[in-house]
Amino acid sequence: MTIRSVFSRLDQERIVLAIAVLVFIIASVTLNGFLTAANLVNIVRSVSVLGILAVGMAIVIIGRGIDLSAVAIMAMSVAWYLQMLGDGTSQAMALVITLAAVLAIGLANGFLVAYADVPPIFVTLASGAFVFGFVRSQLITQDAVPVPPQHWIELLGKTRWLGIPIEVFLFTAIVFVAFLFLRFTKWGRYVYYAGDNPMAARNLGIPVRPMLLLRYVISAFIAFTAGILTASSLLSINTRVVNSTLLYDIVLVAVIGGIGLSGGKGGMRNVIVGALLIGIMLNAMTILDIPNLYQNLIKSTILLVAIIIDGVLNPRDEQTAQQGDI
Amino acid sequence: MDPIIQMRQITKAYRGVPAVKSIDFDLFRGEIHALLGENGAGKSTLTKVMAGVVEATSGEMRYRGQPVKFASPNEALQDGIAMVFQETSLVPSMTVAQNLYLGEEKFLNRLRGIYISAQQFLQSLNFPVDPTAVVETLGAAKRQMVEIARAVHHNAEVIIFDEPTATLTPEEKRHFFALMQRLKARGVSIVFISHALEEALAHADRITIMRDGEHVITDNAANFDREMIVRAMVGRALSDELYGKSRDAAKIRGAGNKVLSVEDISMGAVVRNNSFSIFEGQITGVFGLIGSGRTETFKVVSGIYKRNFLRGGEISLDGEPVRYYVPREAVKDGIVYVTEDRKSEGFFETMSIAENLFSGLLASGREKNAYVSMREMHDLAAEWRSTLNIKAINDNARVVELSGGNQQKVVIGKGLIQKPRIIIFDEPTRGVDVGAIAEIHQLINRLADQGLAVVVISSYLPEIMNLSDRILVCRQGRIVEEFSPTDATEEKIMYAAVH
Repeated sequence: MTIRSVFSRLDQERIVLAIAVLVFIIASVTLNGFLTAANLVNIVRSVSVLGILAVGMAIVIIGRGIDLSAVAIMAMSVAWYLQMLGDGTSQAMALVITLAAVLAIGLANGFLVAYADVPPIFVTLASGAFVFGFVRSQLITQDAVPVPPQHWIELLGKTRWLGIPIEVFLFTAIVFVAFLFLRFTKWGRYVYYAGDNPMAARNLGIPVRPMLLLRYVISAFIAFTAGILTASSLLSINTRVVNSTLLYDIVLVAVIGGIGLSGGKGGMRNVIVGALLIGIMLNAMTILDIPNLYQNLIKSTILLVAIIIDGVLNPRDEQTAQQGDI
Repeated sequence: MDPIIQMRQITKAYRGVPAVKSIDFDLFRGEIHALLGENGAGKSTLTKVMAGVVEATSGEMRYRGQPVKFASPNEALQDGIAMVFQETSLVPSMTVAQNLYLGEEKFLNRLRGIYISAQQFLQSLNFPVDPTAVVETLGAAKRQMVEIARAVHHNAEVIIFDEPTATLTPEEKRHFFALMQRLKARGVSIVFISHALEEALAHADRITIMRDGEHVITDNAANFDREMIVRAMVGRALSDELYGKSRDAAKIRGAGNKVLSVEDISMGAVVRNNSFSIFEGQITGVFGLIGSGRTETFKVVSGIYKRNFLRGGEISLDGEPVRYYVPREAVKDGIVYVTEDRKSEGFFETMSIAENLFSGLLASGREKNAYVSMREMHDLAAEWRSTLNIKAINDNARVVELSGGNQQKVVIGKGLIQKPRIIIFDEPTRGVDVGAIAEIHQLINRLADQGLAVVVISSYLPEIMNLSDRILVCRQGRIVEEFSPTDATEEKIMYAAVH
């Protein structure tokens, strides 16, 4: 069983990469307007934002958690930030307040999971709904909040380097930093130990609970970054995205890339291949003009299949299950 | 008397290690048969074979004269053999009646109907249990009654009890034995596993004693006395060259500085007013049967419990009062606990040997750099793999793929890398092959020679006798006696532990 999962794990990454390349080639040949400069820029842009969100999700999932509040944090923090700017709050003040709020949500998520022992799936589901409801009803006035003219976010969206949008570089940088963190820092290694066997990690003296806190805070800040990038390319942030399927896309990227939901497995390479496949697929479906309803149907089917395969490849035994599911 | 169950040459091996070896066992119709022996003597395994919980590796079992092979406990139950486990298999959130008829609900399940029939049924057994009571609100004795009622309801002709009285109060025990007599009067044959010798002597018709997976003696209870039983339980025939020799008096290590002292701690119902001290440079053996609170005591000391309701008492390290709420604090002070359950809380199963060993260094707080390198990890792994003689293809082999002995060495290595002052081994050789047992024992001795305070918790007497410089016996949540290895005998220790 173990040898099989080692091989299948190696395979999953390659298979997903191969499928991504295959989909790309088929789409390039058959779809008009797929293999154009403008569309490719589009693809890398959407892959980048999705990928950045998936980095945060991946860090949480590797530590045997899940963050369903990521999209709510992403949209609502930026919406509130833009609203404050529009209302005339000073640049620095607005940023500081927003960052403090993001930190607070991350800490609250982490605290409830780590110290109150509430399963992360419920904590983040509730906190996401709370963040959305509270910000939408109390702090902002309309669904979509525009970026003020000539604001740095707008300039960020226009920044190109060698003709490539800035998101791509940011995604690369975030992936690289996350890779260094997970692989080469003490705290990064703790993520894997706690994800693999939280009880053993605790008994060994690894600070399991503070590290949980850290992961949810990281995830919240990454979500905020993704929100800023979304706003920079669309020049506004639409809070309705919270109720879209974006959250599932993120989980889909992580799971299909090969990050086991049972924790302790996978890394940044898995996020990259997952984001590539999903990004190319979504773009192809949009060009094909497949209605949203059907896109969702296809995505949910893929997610379901990916989770089932994940469950078969990385079975949880009874003991792991007792130690707390996601 | 005609036997209802005949077992011939039953052997059951787990991963090649035999838990019971060529056992012959007869159970007569309508008798009460007590099964005695130390932890690990193979009593539970033997009864599990009877009840179809595990399948025998070889041997033959006849039930009512017919050869049988049960594939599952359910099959055995259908045929009339029921086993009542120590931890009950009832559904806690359901009522007594629902539990009684579990698995035979009609499509339209009227609760009123089953309450009425359950009431009548329980009354016929003379059990004072309310059929509408939810099981989790019941005490241990009543739960057991429900289990027994379920067995009787299935027309069980043979009922096997695994340590039925362990969780009962004296009053409840009286009820239990009266009930056993009533079952016997109905013609039911009963096997019960027990640690309490008096119970077996007083209530059993026949007694079988097992030791190290082998059958020692079976005879009428009237032909036994306490002393004979204890001798039969522990008097091993030097079956293992590892054990058996008593310690050479000259080699017994004296006590160094007192590092840890525990005064009067209590927790829940398992640890009661426990007091003892641990000294440097020697091995303190802690013997106790399962449920005696030995593991719990040391888990409290080293902060393992997530929610520990310590009801008073004081723990001091070097004379300073300490109280650890997470293991991390204890590890920083040099107290390392090596778990008895390595699979669920010992190692990281998806990870390699190197990563597992490295976790010890990372967690110890001695690694000051935030940056960690894979080279450092492999150097450390190579060093400890040779120190501990861990047999594997390379550092990248995954721990789950190793044998029990090598897994245990990894778990111990993780602890040693943390440079402990006090190291607590809980059942260090459970599920470990014979060769590795000798190595682990050597290692433990070496640690004590180096001046560490070593604690070995074990329910295996020879291990305790062989390693300890000082023996503490735990019973009912506290240390009840202390022996020096020169005047301890297996009989004396067992006396202290079972009384």
